[in-house]
Amino acid sequence: MSSLRKNTCSGCGRPIAPFEAAVHFPCPECGDVTIWRCERCREMGKTYRCLKCEFEGP
Amino acid sequence: MARKKKKTEEPGKEKTDDVIEDFDEDFEIDFEEDLDLEEELDLLDTEDIKAGIEVKEEIIDKDEERKQLYLSCGIHIGTKLLTGDARRFFYRQTNYGLYVIDLTKTDERLKIAAKFLSKFVEEGSDRVIVTSIRRYGKEPVKKFCEVLGCRAITERFIPGSLTNPIIDTYIKDASVVVIVDPHADKVILHEAKLARIPVVSLFDTDDTLDGIDLAIPANNRGKKALGLAFYLLARQIMLELGKISSEDEFPHTLEEFTSKIVPVYRQEESR
Repeated sequence: MSSLRKNTCSGCGRPIAPFEAAVHFPCPECGDVTIWRCERCREMGKTYRCLKCEFEGP
Repeated sequence: MARKKKKTEEPGKEKTDDVIEDFDEDFEIDFEEDLDLEEELDLLDTEDIKAGIEVKEEIIDKDEERKQLYLSCGIHIGTKLLTGDARRFFYRQTNYGLYVIDLTKTDERLKIAAKFLSKFVEEGSDRVIVTSIRRYGKEPVKKFCEVLGCRAITERFIPGSLTNPIIDTYIKDASVVVIVDPHADKVILHEAKLARIPVVSLFDTDDTLDGIDLAIPANNRGKKALGLAFYLLARQIMLELGKISSEDEFPHTLEEFTSKIVPVYRQEESR
């Protein structure tokens, strides 16, 4: 069986479902890490943090 | 026993005196050598120190110039409302009740946003959408898109332009959306959320971070403030892309980015 790799939200750490209106983009400061934001975190304007440079957004 | 001890100490003392004398001689020689070296170093370093001071002065001047530019355009002036999301960018409250935005954070975020947008502009400038429903934001947005080749939306945003592929105005491959005011541009903000497109926005003290992925704390109501924000963004993106090597090489001026609309109260005053 092939295992599915789930992306996790950078704000809450929850795995992101495929039907969710989540967004992903490179880290604005370092650009190396891909940041994922789930639908709920986006709606609530919750902060996300880059694992490499520790940039806090939005 | 005490006498014996004294006797034993005497030859030791002679030895220590010899050691001290040797040490003094060595120290003098070393000290002289050090002096020579120091003199040589001083002669060598004076020019470097002067050059370093000049560079520092230039940097301080540039920072001060930038600060004066921010203050003169009123990019730091917020509103009389302060939301919970805007607290991290807030500096102080004036006597009139207006909240003031922290300029260091504005400067920092402008640079970060330019870095972020430059990646998308490099991939395809047509896919970057910049919108403004505000009157004072239309000309800065148009000029910004003219400089970088992005897609400007300054008229009414037709609902479904990002989500409905049947309509004619559908934009197929939008990579990032830049908005001026989350309150005024709420239709495109909602559609960007549905279409899973990252959103960059100017952020005043009365706005909320709902649906925004990167906020730039700045005054988004002032004519000069909007012009300056887009001017600095365009210049910084050009620097990031390597099209210009320094800030002075940017061919456009701040006046080109600011709106030419005269407010109604000024028109009445002139009559």
